[in-house]
Amino acid sequence: MKLEWLVAFFVLPMASLLAKETTAASSGKWWSIATYPQKSNIVTDTQGTEISLEPQMRPLNKRQRRMVRDNPGILLAISQAVKMAVTECKYQFKNRRWNCPTMMNVQGANSLFGKILNTACRETAFIYAITSAAVTHSVARSCSEGSVETCTCDYKYQRPSEEDWEWGGCSDNIAFGHRFSQKFVDADEKGRDLRFMMNMHNNEVGRLTVSSDMRQECKCHGMSGSCTIKTCWMRLPTFRTVGEFLKDRFDGASRVALRNEGVRDSSNSNSNRPGSERGGRRDRGQQRAPTGTESNFQPYNANHKPAGPRDLVYFDDSPDFCVRNEKVGTLGTVGRECNNTSLGVDGCDLMCCGRDYDGSQVRIKERCSCTFHWCCKVKCQECTTVRTVYRCR
Amino acid sequence: MAGAILENLSTKKLSFFCLCLLLVQIACFLVGGLVAPAPSSAHNILTTKCIDPSFSLQKWFQPHGPHACDKVRDFDEATKRGIFADWIVFSAQVPHRPNTMHRSFQYMLGVLVMDIGYSDEDGKHLAPNAAVTLVVRLGYKDTDDGEFQELVSVNETRKLECVFPFTEDKVGYHYSCEPLPLFELGSVHHKHYLINIRMPITKDKATGALTNTNIGSPEDLHVVIIHQNGGFTTVWMSIKTIMFPIVLLITIWFWRRVKTQGKPSVLLERTIFALAIIMSILNFPMEWLTFWVEVPFMTLLSDIKQGAFYAMLFSFWIIFIGEHLMDQTQRNRLKVYRRQVASIIFTFFCLFIFDVCERGVQLVNPFFSMWNTDKGYRLAMAFIILAGICLCSYCLFLLFMVYQVFKNISMRRATLPHMAKARRLHYEGLIYRFRFFMIFTVLTAIFTVIFFIMSQVLEGHQKAGESISSVQYTSGFYTGVYGMWNIYVVAVLVLYAPSHKKTASTSNGEGSEGSHVEFDIDVPSEGRPTDPVVAGSLTEAYQLLSKTATE
Repeated sequence: MKLEWLVAFFVLPMASLLAKETTAASSGKWWSIATYPQKSNIVTDTQGTEISLEPQMRPLNKRQRRMVRDNPGILLAISQAVKMAVTECKYQFKNRRWNCPTMMNVQGANSLFGKILNTACRETAFIYAITSAAVTHSVARSCSEGSVETCTCDYKYQRPSEEDWEWGGCSDNIAFGHRFSQKFVDADEKGRDLRFMMNMHNNEVGRLTVSSDMRQECKCHGMSGSCTIKTCWMRLPTFRTVGEFLKDRFDGASRVALRNEGVRDSSNSNSNRPGSERGGRRDRGQQRAPTGTESNFQPYNANHKPAGPRDLVYFDDSPDFCVRNEKVGTLGTVGRECNNTSLGVDGCDLMCCGRDYDGSQVRIKERCSCTFHWCCKVKCQECTTVRTVYRCR
Repeated sequence: MAGAILENLSTKKLSFFCLCLLLVQIACFLVGGLVAPAPSSAHNILTTKCIDPSFSLQKWFQPHGPHACDKVRDFDEATKRGIFADWIVFSAQVPHRPNTMHRSFQYMLGVLVMDIGYSDEDGKHLAPNAAVTLVVRLGYKDTDDGEFQELVSVNETRKLECVFPFTEDKVGYHYSCEPLPLFELGSVHHKHYLINIRMPITKDKATGALTNTNIGSPEDLHVVIIHQNGGFTTVWMSIKTIMFPIVLLITIWFWRRVKTQGKPSVLLERTIFALAIIMSILNFPMEWLTFWVEVPFMTLLSDIKQGAFYAMLFSFWIIFIGEHLMDQTQRNRLKVYRRQVASIIFTFFCLFIFDVCERGVQLVNPFFSMWNTDKGYRLAMAFIILAGICLCSYCLFLLFMVYQVFKNISMRRATLPHMAKARRLHYEGLIYRFRFFMIFTVLTAIFTVIFFIMSQVLEGHQKAGESISSVQYTSGFYTGVYGMWNIYVVAVLVLYAPSHKKTASTSNGEGSEGSHVEFDIDVPSEGRPTDPVVAGSLTEAYQLLSKTATE
């Protein structure tokens, strides 16, 4: 009880003071590790494992740095994850007004995805989910490739003991990816406000998408190859599947407000103002039940269904992506390519927000009639095609 | 068969004996379910794409470590660097670095899983009957810093069975392909294994066509390694080590008892003895050897031992039922059962030939499988279908004989009260023995099936829920069923051993020669319970076994 009072008197007011600054911009710094040049900053130790130099560690906080140091080789997996997330985000949104613009050359806060992150809109929700999913996916992949040695069945910052491995094997890389992503990505979130809850929830949505899209495959190897003994393993989904699923969730994202009773896992209910945060810094790791965050939200529109564990949540309106606005971080659709025959969002009417568009003839040089040998193209011809490209004014 | 112990045993002793067996049975399940880990584990290893412009089959390409190869992350990078398909070596080191393989893993299977990306580009489509040609080298080493030694180097072709699960064009998705069996090693004698796979574009000698040209665009190759878990091996071998001397001692006891009878042994006794011998061979914990010596034929051997046990068990059933037919024919000779036994022998001979072809060739080339080629597939199917037909005909025989026995039993029971005492006792003894055996056998068989289904269902649930339960159902199933058949053999040995009690020995009736009239008259009085509550339940048991007091 004493601790509760302490929290109520000291930590709570302090946290709310800090809240204004920390609300949005603080999280997601780790994304910019993708903008640091690779290879040159990575040296290898005697075992051939990539270990990192300090410049790459700068965007990470203390806890994240420790995790990277404890898991040699994982930094590469994380930076590949961010790149994969960016590629997928751009692919999924290539026909939208917001096409996931990134700035690879700028460093600092909000460096990668820009100021859009200051708004708690759908797009932000998607970014959080896809990056968190990418870390899960990429770490699991690295484990399965063997480039990270510390992957264990049980995430305890230690390698599996030789006896455990010998006794019962240890193969669940995806569980490790999930747990690592949980600890690493969520270590970036501070505070106890609605934005914190939203980020945490969307991070978990991303991870859950990877875990639940896994497929099981089995092999029978009993007596004479019969199915009396069957061993199964899990396969990671392609990241495209994850991206597509999250894009669907983006379109059906739920606008939420904080539940009136406040955070559900709070024992004393003196914090019922939305947006107020409790000093929940003790055992933060424990309070986040993997699927429990959605119970803190209620739908903004009372007629809507409450958000489920695999629904993206947001609470701000999206900014107007039609016009360039430095303050909010939108680029506008001027100069964007559009499809003059489409009636969808990629159609010129919608893409250019009712403005006019220009068509121009472009000669495109392409490699064509290539001979393709399963991995690589050999012997191509160069063809030139003329295409009309429409761009928004 | 002379009066068996089963008839002369008091109900109290019999139930005590059954209780003991039940306890052993439960212990077997618990050991498997609580102590042992899952029987086997699978490791999904993503291969590293190494580059080898020299196309050297002498060099080893290691994915990690100080001698790591020059690698590319994906094939976009390869295209940019101007790399040819022939240069790419998919490399997988087993197991991942801090771990080593252990001899208690017993066997190692490799399965190849290909991620073939869908592309709408010309020439990147996957042909419907595509086959992939692999040049594979498998190596091993026992020290951390030594060189890899070659185990085998082969040129194999596998058929791809892939479908694209979507109807529309979806770029970035993968075909859904059946996992390809890669290799099977009958022993895991070394600490590290290395697999180097190439998919060269060469002219096929037979057809003149280029290999690996219509396989779409593979993005990743995964090698799934399956091996038995060390913990399971330990538990399994411990059970065998404990069971072996027990069953062997009881077998010796049984045979001495038969011998001390002073009469030549009857067929049924010899069959039981043979069953016990084969059970003992199956129990013999030969696998301990693998800890010191490389025994690649261990899986073949255990398959053969298991097959022999099943063949013997099925023969035993036929002979036992035949000897209790209660018609007037003279039996007690193996010749009488030649058709049935021949069908069993033939069934297991087919399976034996199949197994020798599959596992025998694998001793030389672990990448061989009959299922991979059309001819082999047809041959394997032929063996299995033939075995299936034989097994079915055996089952029909068996069911028919069981039906005959029951028909005879009901006929005899109608005439029982009119028979002379000696004959009546003879038939009652036969009926009792048969009923007990039937109930016991059917229960054992049903439990085997139930446990099998349960372990499959429970395991399936466990996977879906993702919660790690502390009970290993599959392991429990294996140890439980193994224990159950041991208990079955022990029970048959003990209960159907000839009895020394010869209180009501009379001359041979007109029944089958193998069934001497020796029904002990004082069994019911001996077993008569004093406690009225027990009496009620026991009466039920008696009625179940149609063994009513004959006083």
